[in-house]
Amino acid sequence: MNAIQVSELHKSFGDVKAVQGISFDIREGEIFSLLGPNGAGKTTAILILSCILRPDAGDAQVMGHSIRQDPMAVKAVLGVVPQEIALYEDLSARENLTFWGKMYGLRGAPLRQRVEEVLELIGLTDRANGRVSKYSGGMKRRVNIALALLHKPQVIYMDEPTVGIDPQSRRSILDGVVALKNQGTTVLYTTHYMEEAQELSDRIAILDHGKLIAHGTHEELVRIVGGLDRITLTLSAESPPLIEAWKATRGVQRTSVEDGAVSLLVEDSNLVLPRLFDGAAAHGVRITSVDILEPNLEAVFLHLTGRALRD
Amino acid sequence: MKAIDIAIKDMKRSYRSAVGLVFMFALPLLTTGLFYFMFGNIASGGEFDLSVTRVIVADLDEGSPDLRAQMASAPGGLQAATLGQVVVEALQNEDLSDLLEVSLAEDPASARGAVDGQEAQVAILIPADFSRQFADPTGRAVLEFYQDPTLTIGPGIVRSILSRFLDGIAGTKIAVEVALDEGGPEIVERIGEVVRLYLEAALAQDADAAGMIEVRSPQAEHEATSPLVQIIGPIMGGMMIFYAFYTGFATSQSILREEEERTLPRLFTTPTPQPAILVGKLLAVFLTVVVQMVVLLVAAYLIFRIEWGEILEVGLMTLATVITASSFGVFFNSLLKSTRQSGAMFGGVLTVTGMIGMISIFVRGSPSAATLGNTVSLLVPQGWAVRAMTMAMDGATLSSLWPSLLGLLGWSAAFLGIGVWRFSRRYA
Repeated sequence: MNAIQVSELHKSFGDVKAVQGISFDIREGEIFSLLGPNGAGKTTAILILSCILRPDAGDAQVMGHSIRQDPMAVKAVLGVVPQEIALYEDLSARENLTFWGKMYGLRGAPLRQRVEEVLELIGLTDRANGRVSKYSGGMKRRVNIALALLHKPQVIYMDEPTVGIDPQSRRSILDGVVALKNQGTTVLYTTHYMEEAQELSDRIAILDHGKLIAHGTHEELVRIVGGLDRITLTLSAESPPLIEAWKATRGVQRTSVEDGAVSLLVEDSNLVLPRLFDGAAAHGVRITSVDILEPNLEAVFLHLTGRALRD
Repeated sequence: MKAIDIAIKDMKRSYRSAVGLVFMFALPLLTTGLFYFMFGNIASGGEFDLSVTRVIVADLDEGSPDLRAQMASAPGGLQAATLGQVVVEALQNEDLSDLLEVSLAEDPASARGAVDGQEAQVAILIPADFSRQFADPTGRAVLEFYQDPTLTIGPGIVRSILSRFLDGIAGTKIAVEVALDEGGPEIVERIGEVVRLYLEAALAQDADAAGMIEVRSPQAEHEATSPLVQIIGPIMGGMMIFYAFYTGFATSQSILREEEERTLPRLFTTPTPQPAILVGKLLAVFLTVVVQMVVLLVAAYLIFRIEWGEILEVGLMTLATVITASSFGVFFNSLLKSTRQSGAMFGGVLTVTGMIGMISIFVRGSPSAATLGNTVSLLVPQGWAVRAMTMAMDGATLSSLWPSLLGLLGWSAAFLGIGVWRFSRRYA
């Protein structure tokens, strides 16, 4: 059964088309990632699915409830972890959890018990009564996520929860997401970190300029680029004639230039790389660095958009 | 229920702000305190220190044979030989020693000289025929009271004591005269008897002589009418209203602040209806201002002894002010895009309207300016609140207070209607 079913969502802000007819479905208990660069429309999609923004057109069903017809029922089964930390910094972690628990309809002893469980889960029992303003960034992140778990939601949206935190906290969060999946929770995860999407997700949807350009499992997506390798080279000097020459080189499928680096999708890097060096020598240009990547989501994005999916 | 949870959370946050607490409670009381100490030198625990009045008495009374005979036979032994001596003894009573310091002069000239030389504040001159005139049914016993014209309180006390004493004697005499009219000349002897009984009673109740002077500090029960309270009462009320509007604005700002802190969008992701969120926010503003007003009303009563008026009228005035201050805050915050714009509101709108609203307080003592001041102050909601407050303090009845209360509610309806409409549209 699908936990979420999205049909032809559209949303514009003035002339800016933030979401342009995206459709996908998420099965119960899976981790589904929305991958895309900044401004791709990921957060807008999350806001629409959280019933904060009303779509201009289209609809979505969350656990069988329409975001248009029954937003309160949708919100009741949802936990939303916003991209930015959204806490009352002049209250303690326990006060924050208690308040948000009430907003999700918890009361009395079950609320108190759940607050203690969640504090234990995020390892903040000892600091529970301290004001959030005194916490480190990582601790705030953990509380930020914990608020969405209080009412044991069936579906959780996590909007770039690892932005701007240290590797240790990131690892902890990613492990937590996997733990949620293991408990049967459906997770909709947005990120612009390809590695996260690749590691966590059962399925991935790639967004660009408000459009869903591909979706499927990691293997399915990689197959789109036909098993091509990605070679990134930096040159001693810009040389458009050399780029043109490389485009025409046998085995090169696609070429793009970003920030002085040249990215090429090639059939077999072992065969193509010597040809690329020959071409550079013929044009009097020196190659200063070479990076070879086997097929991945970055390559898929490059293949589909002609641009790199930059961190 | 969720609205109440939101209100409690907001109030908790408000009361954790040190700056907020200072503006809510400390500044109104401190400002009034400054006026209090400026206008009244009664900071030393509220005790009113009355200095002893120096009285000098020239007793020339030669007495009256009839009177002397009766007084000598008084049970318990009245030692006074003359009525003048009785007066002196009455003034020298121990119970009056905290108030009066009585000494005797040889003659009227030296007694007057003592007052002229500021050695005494009051001189009492008892004429030679004082007892005789008193004993004579047709006579008129008169004392001369000579005082330093620059003084009022001390001589006033002495005059009070003497008046009471002499009023009693005069009353006795009238009673005797009536008895004489009815009973004939053989009752003449009874004059002395009646006077004796009166004096016996009067001296036996010397404590009452002290009791007739009720020395009260300005904080005693008649404070509401004291000049000091008349000055600082409205000022405290004005400060209270000024800062209530400040609090209404500052606490309403939590809507914008939560938007900037991203907790408001997060609230919208919970199964909490948007109207409940807005009601919760408004309730927090309202309750915070209620607490502020009540605390200030009680604190001002306890600290400055300000009488606010009858409970019903004060309660309604407070309620109407709270509603107006809250809706004022909601309205002006609904005009702002972010809290960064609030400086102009605090420094401009709140201060200017607050000052205009308090004009009527500062022109109370000037009848010529009062009419204009009262009219101008009604251009802003604070002015209506000040008017209702001063009317309640002046003992206005509910029927005369209604127009001001309705005026306040009119402002509130407009502010709240526009403010809620704008916020609802903003977050729709």
